[in-house]
Amino acid sequence: MLKGKKFRIAGSLLVLALVGAACSSRDDNNASTDNGGGSGDSGGASESSIDTANCTADPTAEIEGNEIKLVSSFPQSGATAAFSQIAKGWKSYIQMINDEGGVEIDGKTYTITTTDKDDQYNPQNTVANIEELVGEDGSNAFAAFSVVGTANNLAIRQQLGDLCVPNLFAATGSPAWGDPTYPWTLGSTLSPYSLEGKAFADLLGDEKPDAKIAVLVQDDDFGKAYEEGLKKAIEGTDLEIVKTEKYATGATEVSAQITSLAASGADAFFDGATLLACPDALTKAAAAGWTPITWVSATCTSKTLMGVAGANANNAYSYTNLKDPLNPDWDDDPAMMEYREKVGQYQPDADVNNGIVAYGWTQGALLVEALKAAEKPTRLAVMESIHNFSASDVGLLLPGVTVKTGPDDPYLGEAFNVMKYEFTAPDARNHFVLVGDINDVEGQTADFTPESLISSG
Amino acid sequence: MTTDQTGAAVEPMLGVAPLELEDAPATGDQTLWPQIPRPVFIARVIIGTVMAAAALYAPFYFDPVYNRLLSQAIYLAIAAMGLNLLTGFNGQVSIGHGFFYGVGAFTSAILMVDHGWTFEATIPIALLLNLVIGLLVGLPALRVRGLYLALVTLGLAVLFPQLASKYVDGVGGVALLRPPARDFSSLIEGLDNDQWAYFLSLFIMVVLFLLAWNLVRGRIGRSMIAVRDQEIAATTVGVNLAGTKVATFAISAAYAGVAGSLSVMVDHVAAATNPIFYFQRSVEFLVAMTIGGAATIMGPAVGALALVLLRRNTEDLIEGKEILAPALYGAALIAIVFVLPEGLVGGVRRFLAWLGRRSSAKGRPPTHPIPDDSQ
Amino acid sequence: MQLFVEQVLNGVANGVVYGSVALALVLIFRTTGVLNFAQGEMALFATFISWKLTQQGLPVVGAIAISMAIAFVSGAIIERVLIRPVETGRSPLNVVIVTLGMFLALNSLVQLIFGTDPQFMPSAFPKGGIKLFESGGRTATLQKGTLGLVLVLIAECIVLWAILNHTRLGLKLRAVAANPDSARLHGIKAGSMLMLGWAMSAAIGALAGSMVAAQRTGFDSNLMQTVLIYALAAAALGGFDSLWGAVICGIIVGVADALTIQYVDPLNGIEVVMPLAFILVVLMVMPHGLFGKRTVERV
Repeated sequence: MLKGKKFRIAGSLLVLALVGAACSSRDDNNASTDNGGGSGDSGGASESSIDTANCTADPTAEIEGNEIKLVSSFPQSGATAAFSQIAKGWKSYIQMINDEGGVEIDGKTYTITTTDKDDQYNPQNTVANIEELVGEDGSNAFAAFSVVGTANNLAIRQQLGDLCVPNLFAATGSPAWGDPTYPWTLGSTLSPYSLEGKAFADLLGDEKPDAKIAVLVQDDDFGKAYEEGLKKAIEGTDLEIVKTEKYATGATEVSAQITSLAASGADAFFDGATLLACPDALTKAAAAGWTPITWVSATCTSKTLMGVAGANANNAYSYTNLKDPLNPDWDDDPAMMEYREKVGQYQPDADVNNGIVAYGWTQGALLVEALKAAEKPTRLAVMESIHNFSASDVGLLLPGVTVKTGPDDPYLGEAFNVMKYEFTAPDARNHFVLVGDINDVEGQTADFTPESLISSG
Repeated sequence: MTTDQTGAAVEPMLGVAPLELEDAPATGDQTLWPQIPRPVFIARVIIGTVMAAAALYAPFYFDPVYNRLLSQAIYLAIAAMGLNLLTGFNGQVSIGHGFFYGVGAFTSAILMVDHGWTFEATIPIALLLNLVIGLLVGLPALRVRGLYLALVTLGLAVLFPQLASKYVDGVGGVALLRPPARDFSSLIEGLDNDQWAYFLSLFIMVVLFLLAWNLVRGRIGRSMIAVRDQEIAATTVGVNLAGTKVATFAISAAYAGVAGSLSVMVDHVAAATNPIFYFQRSVEFLVAMTIGGAATIMGPAVGALALVLLRRNTEDLIEGKEILAPALYGAALIAIVFVLPEGLVGGVRRFLAWLGRRSSAKGRPPTHPIPDDSQ
Repeated sequence: MQLFVEQVLNGVANGVVYGSVALALVLIFRTTGVLNFAQGEMALFATFISWKLTQQGLPVVGAIAISMAIAFVSGAIIERVLIRPVETGRSPLNVVIVTLGMFLALNSLVQLIFGTDPQFMPSAFPKGGIKLFESGGRTATLQKGTLGLVLVLIAECIVLWAILNHTRLGLKLRAVAANPDSARLHGIKAGSMLMLGWAMSAAIGALAGSMVAAQRTGFDSNLMQTVLIYALAAAALGGFDSLWGAVICGIIVGVADALTIQYVDPLNGIEVVMPLAFILVVLMVMPHGLFGKRTVERV
């Protein structure tokens, strides 16, 4: 039956249709709207910290029409599909702004359109996606935004840098975005990973100045940033790293590593694991009867990850610069209420309680602020605006946190508040509780990060 | 599946069945490649010419985005051909050729980024290096048969990203190397960069495919196929079993290595940050080979093209449900295998043979019974 | 010594996980001759079903039992609809492609239907551990969950062994696996036996998946992908022939992994080298795995 001739012919045709679907010809694309590329009015700022001598596309060209085209590439399927939630946050904010009339730059109003493609977390795909979305001459989009993944952003920063197309708010905490050779790529409010070591060292300085630290990190650049950052932070203190264990990227259980760390006699633990390995470390530590002062990676602070660790996550420290939707203290906060309402309206399938949606929302808000602060509707002006940026109480930023950049300081997320996880009951609304005040290390990221992690050479 | 004396199952060779010979005339002709009826021959020539013309004209018609897609299909075809030699013609199943591909890619990238080589010069190095590594892997592979070989090679593909992550010092500490785009500039005036990439890849593919075709037609090819079909009988007629198997492994690894090297030019990046990427690539080689038609010469190329187009078209087929893209892709693969069990090339051949029989139905008696494929 | 024992226990805990998945792989191989790459994802789907049922309030054991029943039926349907049409074809590689397509499709469907968030799977076994011995202020404990899983595996092996080797049904299954045509000549419905083989493996896989998810702190759609390579290694080591072999080799692989993490620092982060190198060495010396049967090939 399934092999009958007619079925086979029909099947072949269907397959052919799927395989040979429409493709665009070489001449089609020249008709696309010019969005910053090509010649134009070039009354750019005379004092610019950004060198535009080698730009292959003109960064001073004004946007034609009234659409600001943003493009992004991030995982929407496959193993890391969960990261697609970030986009739901910023899409909601942008849709809200568009409905309210759009963004005004230099007297003219613009709507923001966003286009994105799935890269399944493969840098090869990110390169292809961005080349397609931005265009070889940069004429298909104004800027790239919120691309996920350190490797993915590293793969595109040169091409975007050559085109002088902004790559804004890269969704990773890698310190590499502070590299002055690539001013067109910028990080986001995700604090640089190396700062977590500093925060933990400061915490221990208060609680247990002579602590012996055990470290668990992933075996890649993410782990290296943690390891090196912590090492640098404890220089000159009485803190000591007694054992470091690594786990393979993507592993979901770390019992052997925890056993090894627990046996080291450490009384402080830096759990630099991410995704499922992080709560697993907490559970295994508890099962081994090991109760050190624990710090969890800021990437691990989501409701779901801490949730599966349950009671074992109690008293774990981390830090943040955003309001946590799970924290009842913010339930009546106007910014939080607006966030819940708008995300529910524009992206109803998003989980508002998920911290990465809140993060996405905040990046959207910051982007709009940066656009508004630009002197002219050109790429160069927007970059200068972002490199001399100062914002607080935007999106879901914690009160007291100022997102600031300057000519020598390209890092946005340098203020944070330490927090501690409180577990009350399995079905309760367990959440992190803020501890202490905002710690502002503005401009100091480079001091706490080894040079090799920032510049690529 | 064969059994031993006690009735227990022998692990099946995951290789393919014997090459289907077309309407072979009952002559004393000893060649493996028998006479083809005239109408079919003419049809083949026409198809071949059309395809060649299309391949040469394509990069001038399509935009750079699509050209990149086609170039990806080309290097995928090269790797699939390598695998075809090993699995299709020689019966050794490998789901780890992503490893050699990765070695090729990083060889080119490292030579370019750390040592300033020109890209084109790195291709032969990638080929030779993988030839040697393939030899080294092929030797222990002699002891490991069928299913086990598949699993050991799988291990290699899984291992590669982790090794790269540990030992490659890339940008920002990440296992990623990105030679600057200008290093891939077109060497021929009048050709854009993407067109140059396409033609260079196409040229290399044609050369490698011709080499493969020649190999398979000759003595070595016959040894390979003999080893695949009846290993023990082959040794009794003097085929050097170990030599053939190891050589085939090395050659297939070299092909995959060249594919990896070309991928650096086409994709502009060599990265090992995704732990399952090289496993995915290995699977793609296997899929391209199979849906194109294993143990055929054009199979890997056709399969690679189909795979690349399929992947692109299922990416955002359903608006808002991008998460389903792999499901659609997987379903399409299953559909292809259902509808065309001998692959695309096999299907085309069958069609042509049917045409050939139709046109010669009057007057000439068939040389042997027409196979009934209505079941 | 203390540390060594603790790591061995860690290894055993992981090893039984690998062994239980390897068991499903070996079972389907022995009864149908197919290496099912989608085994892990089929188990994943069933695991999410049992998780969903526990969310609705069912007790864990009941949820698992229901998911096993669903898996049983689904396995049979998959064999009949997806595998049978390509199984009888000329190229065994086509079956591999179908299982790969299933792998992709099932994983994607799980993400769509159940979401991408990590979830917590309750365990069928009581919490806590059994203290083995103490030294240096720390105790080596065998988790009750691990012990439970070991017992379940032993029970599975016994049941399957009994079915395959001591019942008519088992005889028919083995006959069809060995030589479907001969079996048909003896009046055995080969098709039904193949369906049964897939059904049984799917059910065993469902059980394995639920136990694995419970043993981990949390699970999501990636659960089986990290396990699969180790399970394949375990099955290969065992020779793909022996059910006991799969379980024992699973434990061997798990222990080797844990000990590598502890004692072999240069391999920190790439411990997967160890089981792979191990298999390679073993297979060079014993090409049929540790527990496989020696085979004679007719020319």
